[in-house]
Amino acid sequence: MTDFRPSRRAALWGAAALAALAALTGAAQAADCPEGFPEKPITFMVGFGAGGGTDAIGRSIAAAIEEQQGWDIVVENRPGASGGVMAAALMEMPPDGYTIGMAGTDTVTVNPYETADSPYTHADFDYLGSAMQINFGLVALEEKPYDTLEEFIEYAREQGRATVSVAGVSQTVAVRQMAEHFDVNLVPVPGKGAADALQQALGGHVDATTQGSQHVQQIKAGNMVQLASLIGKRVPYAPDSKTLIESGMDVSLEAHTTFLVPKGMDAEIKTCLAEAIDEATQSEGYAELMEKFQNRALNLGPEGVEEVVARMAAFYEEALSD
Amino acid sequence: MPELATVLAGLTDAFTLHNLLFVLAGVTIGQIVGAIPGLNILMALAIAIPLTLTLDTLTAVAFLIGVNKGGTVGGAIPAILLNTPGTPESAATALDGHPMAKKGRPLKAMKYGLYYSVFGDISSDIVLITVSVPLAMVALKMGPVEILCLMIFAFTIITGLVGNSMVKGLIAATLGFLLAAIGLEPAQGTPRFTFGMLELYDGLPLSAMAVGFLAVSEIFHQIARSTRAQSGAATVSMRSTDPADRRVTLREVLANKYVALRAFLIGTVIGAIPGLGSATAGFLSYSITKQAAKDPESFGTGDPRGIAASESANSAVVGANLIPLLTLGIPGNIAAALLVSAFIIHGIQPGPLLFEQQGQLIYGLFGAMLMANLCNLGVGQIGMRLWAFVVGAPNTVIYPGALLLCVTGIYFTEGGLFGVIVMLVSAVFGYLMKTFGYSVVAFIIGFVLMAQLERSLLQTMLITDSNLWVVFQHPIAVVLLVLSAVSVLYLGPKRKGAPRAGSEAEVE
Repeated sequence: MTDFRPSRRAALWGAAALAALAALTGAAQAADCPEGFPEKPITFMVGFGAGGGTDAIGRSIAAAIEEQQGWDIVVENRPGASGGVMAAALMEMPPDGYTIGMAGTDTVTVNPYETADSPYTHADFDYLGSAMQINFGLVALEEKPYDTLEEFIEYAREQGRATVSVAGVSQTVAVRQMAEHFDVNLVPVPGKGAADALQQALGGHVDATTQGSQHVQQIKAGNMVQLASLIGKRVPYAPDSKTLIESGMDVSLEAHTTFLVPKGMDAEIKTCLAEAIDEATQSEGYAELMEKFQNRALNLGPEGVEEVVARMAAFYEEALSD
Repeated sequence: MPELATVLAGLTDAFTLHNLLFVLAGVTIGQIVGAIPGLNILMALAIAIPLTLTLDTLTAVAFLIGVNKGGTVGGAIPAILLNTPGTPESAATALDGHPMAKKGRPLKAMKYGLYYSVFGDISSDIVLITVSVPLAMVALKMGPVEILCLMIFAFTIITGLVGNSMVKGLIAATLGFLLAAIGLEPAQGTPRFTFGMLELYDGLPLSAMAVGFLAVSEIFHQIARSTRAQSGAATVSMRSTDPADRRVTLREVLANKYVALRAFLIGTVIGAIPGLGSATAGFLSYSITKQAAKDPESFGTGDPRGIAASESANSAVVGANLIPLLTLGIPGNIAAALLVSAFIIHGIQPGPLLFEQQGQLIYGLFGAMLMANLCNLGVGQIGMRLWAFVVGAPNTVIYPGALLLCVTGIYFTEGGLFGVIVMLVSAVFGYLMKTFGYSVVAFIIGFVLMAQLERSLLQTMLITDSNLWVVFQHPIAVVLLVLSAVSVLYLGPKRKGAPRAGSEAEVE
């Protein structure tokens, strides 16, 4: 267990480097903002460590905003408890627009129902938009005797059980729901993060795994096949694998990278920030990052995120109540 | 196999003056950061990654590799000179390195450390370059069942670290187990002993704990021991008239070749298995070496074999950790995970297609790794004289200065005061444990191994449907269990019959 948290200092250095880049390119567009806003640097509080996926997105968006709006943005990492440490800190901040949190939707839709310790719920925040949807898939080793969800379920029925390595509560819930729907014994095996879960599957120690991004390369290399897309639609790198909805289930695993602020923000400032973020998600630099992640920019906008968060929170509140 | 042209093109890309300067800069930064207790190499990597954005891919990766390798060598310096290891892996080096330094041979101890470290590093890099693909396949076969048995084996050998009193050592290790229970429990995610604090959900922060228990407690210990008369003196004296105390001959290095070779093998195997890490390798190697020795009592008194066992093994992990990363796309530890993000920022997706798509770059990276090893040797030679000069300052300067660095370092690393509080509380406990003869090292290694053991046990139960007889279908696991039994039955009594003095550096 070598769980080192990367530093806030790293964040500051990163911000300084990005700020230097932005200064070279100069301001271009401007969102519709109240007079005089912002009068000081804005802080992005990223709920995960420096060097991770969410962190990379945060830094890319921050750089794009600096370039497009000419603002100063400081990226700060507050890792811990799947974004919970950041969300708890953010809740205490004044809703003045100078502190913006960044996390996955799971931070507000899953964490509060997982334990009683969580001081916040999704309703304690306003949402400015989102940047990307995570393409969850159920994947298995290529040499396993199943290529689709139906064949996998049949295999599990014959064997009496099948194991699925997972990383995180939302994936555990998804596996349990599949088991319930098809009435077979699927055993979620919690890994220490997505890489550990992938390793269990690649080594043949479990029968399948749920993954958010690392499976794409394995599919392209022909090592693994996607049994099902766990999100609401099919994915470009495995167009033949059906969604759970197509397989007759009323379930999808929906998670977005989102921007959140403490509740009660002035409407004008909120609109201004939401516009700035929207412009940034359409920037060229961010598109390049998404290409590297084998994904696409997707901003649901303030209302869209609000709707997803409310829906997923209700879903997990019920799923985790027993 | 890759085409020769690709290999040569990659190496040609690497061996340029431009890259050499960046590798040299990386190694220098890494050694300095590694040598300062409280700062750690992961923090240095996280800071460095955004700074490499404007460099070309190979130069950027070469620079980061340099930082990573330099840090591993630098970590031994405070462990040897001040007995204040900043990371769990260098704690094993302190066990023999510091006693040697206190005998008036600090340069000799640092040279041993540097040479064996570079040996382990180069050897594991060669393994990475030549047989990484088959080795990665073997490492993949190490599933939860095998890891569980490996952890059981590790625990049986760790008794070699417990110090003078077996009972006190086991109490210390057990305390480590118990503290590892803090945080979200792996099966259901139920919080244990978190008292409603979200900061404790991911467990006690290891870097703050390690610095507190290992380094700051030693600083407290030294401050408490010092009297007015000696407070102006330095702990480690550089003034030795015998030139043999300052240098290490080739003959002396080769005298421990089998120890170093075994340490490198242990480090490479542990490193190739994702998730285990250099602390496990260093301690495993040190304990095995000590227990296999005819004269285990000489360990802890400044035995070069102790330094060889620890340094070769923890450095071998650095190269081997890239095996699962480059062949499968699985980062073996946090440092490797940070390299992944550097790769991705530069548009390279680590994974099974990496060799095929980016062969030239990978061989360039290998070239940079070899350059970094040589730079390590050179920078280390110059650096050790500088460090030796620094610790020549009076205790009244050195220990308060080190304490200040620990506090600020952890404040930055952990992103706030919480880490500093954990570090200071750990230091007080560590000080009390040392005062009453409980092994701090046994405690911290118990803490490190327990989290892995618990997770592997849980995964094994789930995968085997709680039928532990299934273990017998896993040959590697059976071998490890047999080794554990041998270790307990054979090595236990042998140790009991021969009580030793001063088996651990900090118990004086």
